[in-house]
Amino acid sequence: MREVVLTAASLALTGAVVANAYYQKHQFYPSVVYITKSSPSMAVLYIQAFVLVILLGKMMRKVFFGQLRASEMEHLIERSWYAVTETCLAFTVFRDDFSPRFVAQFTLLLFLKCFHWLAEDRIDYMERSPVLSWLFHVRAVLLLMFLGMVDAILVHVAYNTTMQSGASVQLVFGFEYAILLTIVVTIQMKYILHIIDLRSENPWDNKAVYLLYTELITGFIKTVLYSCFMVIMIKVHTFPLFAIRPMYLTLRGFKKCISDVIMSRRAISNMNTLYPDATPEELQQGDNVCIICREEMMTGCKKLPCNHIFHTSCLRSWFQRQQTCPTCRMDVLRPPPPPQPQQPPPRGPQPPFGFPPMGIPPNMGIPPAPGVPPQGLPNAGPVMFPGWPPMGIPPMPPGQPLPMAPAPGAAASAGASGLPQQGSAQDASQTQMPGFGMPPPFMFPPPFMMPPFMFGDLSTPPNVDFSSLNVEQLVAAEGQERQNVETRINMLRTVHALLDAAIVQLNQYTQMINAHSQPPINVPQPSTSAGTSGLGTAGAGPSGLGTAVAGPSGLGSAGVGPSGLGSAGAGPSGLGTTAAGPSGLGTVGAGPSELGTGAAAAEETKEEVSPTSQPGSSTVSDSSASGDTASNPAVSADTDTSQMEPDLNDENSEIRRRRLERFSSQDSPEKDKKE
Amino acid sequence: MAGAALKRLMAEYRQLTLNPPDGILAGPLTEENFFEWEAFITGPEGTPFEGGVFTTRLVFPHDYPLSPPKMRFICEMFHPNVYPDGRVCISILHAPGDDPMGYESSAERWSPVQSVEKILLSVVSMLAEPNDESGANVDASKMWRENREKFNEIAKQIVKKSLGLFN
Repeated sequence: MREVVLTAASLALTGAVVANAYYQKHQFYPSVVYITKSSPSMAVLYIQAFVLVILLGKMMRKVFFGQLRASEMEHLIERSWYAVTETCLAFTVFRDDFSPRFVAQFTLLLFLKCFHWLAEDRIDYMERSPVLSWLFHVRAVLLLMFLGMVDAILVHVAYNTTMQSGASVQLVFGFEYAILLTIVVTIQMKYILHIIDLRSENPWDNKAVYLLYTELITGFIKTVLYSCFMVIMIKVHTFPLFAIRPMYLTLRGFKKCISDVIMSRRAISNMNTLYPDATPEELQQGDNVCIICREEMMTGCKKLPCNHIFHTSCLRSWFQRQQTCPTCRMDVLRPPPPPQPQQPPPRGPQPPFGFPPMGIPPNMGIPPAPGVPPQGLPNAGPVMFPGWPPMGIPPMPPGQPLPMAPAPGAAASAGASGLPQQGSAQDASQTQMPGFGMPPPFMFPPPFMMPPFMFGDLSTPPNVDFSSLNVEQLVAAEGQERQNVETRINMLRTVHALLDAAIVQLNQYTQMINAHSQPPINVPQPSTSAGTSGLGTAGAGPSGLGTAVAGPSGLGSAGVGPSGLGSAGAGPSGLGTTAAGPSGLGTVGAGPSELGTGAAAAEETKEEVSPTSQPGSSTVSDSSASGDTASNPAVSADTDTSQMEPDLNDENSEIRRRRLERFSSQDSPEKDKKE
Repeated sequence: MAGAALKRLMAEYRQLTLNPPDGILAGPLTEENFFEWEAFITGPEGTPFEGGVFTTRLVFPHDYPLSPPKMRFICEMFHPNVYPDGRVCISILHAPGDDPMGYESSAERWSPVQSVEKILLSVVSMLAEPNDESGANVDASKMWRENREKFNEIAKQIVKKSLGLFN
């Protein structure tokens, strides 16, 4: 309404001015001269011209776009303000050439720019609209042809003018229109790609890649154009202040394009090389909806190391943003785990922030292992040992029997609770063993110390190398709650103490073997069930000092070699069960943080969290308690072990014995096979 | 085929219509534009916001679900995690990488696994349990921490306003 009034007023004013001139001069030519000489009349006419331009713009908008959407209008207004400001800046640079003609040219430029922006928005909208009428396509094609033609003509005009009469303000227009032309070409390419995508029945996976390359190429052309413009302007006129902002935006866009292309290429190559295609069986079982696009997965799916399956194209577009599993946020750029990690990971390069020994700051974190189990929530990684605190007990010199009273207790209580996880235990023991100065004869292979049959089918997490993580990632990986971290550290202490205990045991065995190597071996067969159970008790027996008598007897009956090994296996197996504790605990620790984001998360993770959280939470209380009991004595073990041995030893060896008996009776067939 | 974002939004809309979660109603503003949604959230029971029906707008980026949508309350809202202008500040709505409050771990951030439903449920639980660490609305945070009674009173007023029952 207001616009109509203003337009009418402007029209009336113009009519009045013209009528006035004609009334005074009575003839056409003198009237024109009169109007051009009179400043007020000219002002009125300029306003009228401005109004006409706006009317023309509205008309063209009606023809080419119909009703503008709210977001398009918003963009248009926002960009117009910048453009107007920059045009004013340009006027200051070319103030010598300032003339109505000059202003008209800038207005035309602005006018055309508006349509380019609108066209860009409109074509982007294609991807979002569920229904596109034929009118849309007619308009789009017509508009793009029209804009392309006008741009080309104006570039040509500017070029000719510059060639004929030397460098002038036409230089600016030439470059501006050239850039607009590249924009039109980009939009056309996008339009064609969208059309191809719309026509095809199946999703066109490579569309994103083509779009990316289109942007890259046009971004490059624009960058070159702007650079040339800059150089020429500085040579001919002065520094083009008004072109700084668009130039900066172009450069930034180009840089982003390059990084996008690099990321995309890396994602594609990673996907082709690192991750296997999901097999039809894997797609069949359970829910086969791709969590990214919420569509069924039929073909073209990839399986990540964390066992999550996605569409290849969905995964690729996500990997351009972030190299994590969308579901569990596992960092997928880690190499997949070797099938049977035999080598302990290098302990050399530690993370820059070494963990302080015992005082635990609340933000201290234990990074999750990349190999998070399937239900792996971010914090759920099995606990690893990048910044292991200095050892509470110095490594024993081989052969010195130093009883480790608390260890069996911890092993028993922690092992009795919670479901053990073989993988983490294995990692734990592997990571730690070298650090303890172990006697070489008992460098037992992992499969033996962690017999898989004890723990069911749990996936083995990959080898961990934290040296490549930076501080930010490590900090990001840790949980929020101080409590979680503390419990985890307690668990680590427990594991630590257990490992110490295992080594002490081993030392004892070596001694015993040395002592008994002279007499001939009478009973060489540990393969019967009786043999294994006897072996189990033997393993439990020597754990204390007081077993100097019991140990040899058990060993003597079981035979030297195998029994030593067998009990060695038993020792760390208890250890393995505790080491599994932290991982279950990690899951629980992650639970609340995910839940904290809302019941929504609970909805999704209900299936995954709840089964683990029940046993896991029991693990928390149990094992943290045991962690306390274990770690404290472990620290002071070398000073006052004599005090602690008797009482702890008795009950712990009892518990252990029972547990080992249980294990051996359960698993005797496998054990037999193994041996 | 239409764009991936559009397809996903349509799938989510279908899902929300077929299985609407309790106390939540959401859908696109118009059928032509699936990238702007309106959602009605009922205040969770047993909280100061109980009984209120709050209107929110969700604006989705063109690369949804790779980037999170933006959400704001259209109605009045006084809450520690809602900016005075209505924008909702919860970690699930923040893309990994940017961290306006400097305290969120990337684990809580946006990922394509999240959905409109989860966002809205998160907002419901945010209404029930404000996180005064983030403090998008400092006044509300302070009041929530120090003068809970007054906070509850204001919340009740807002509930009444949201129902059009004010005074």
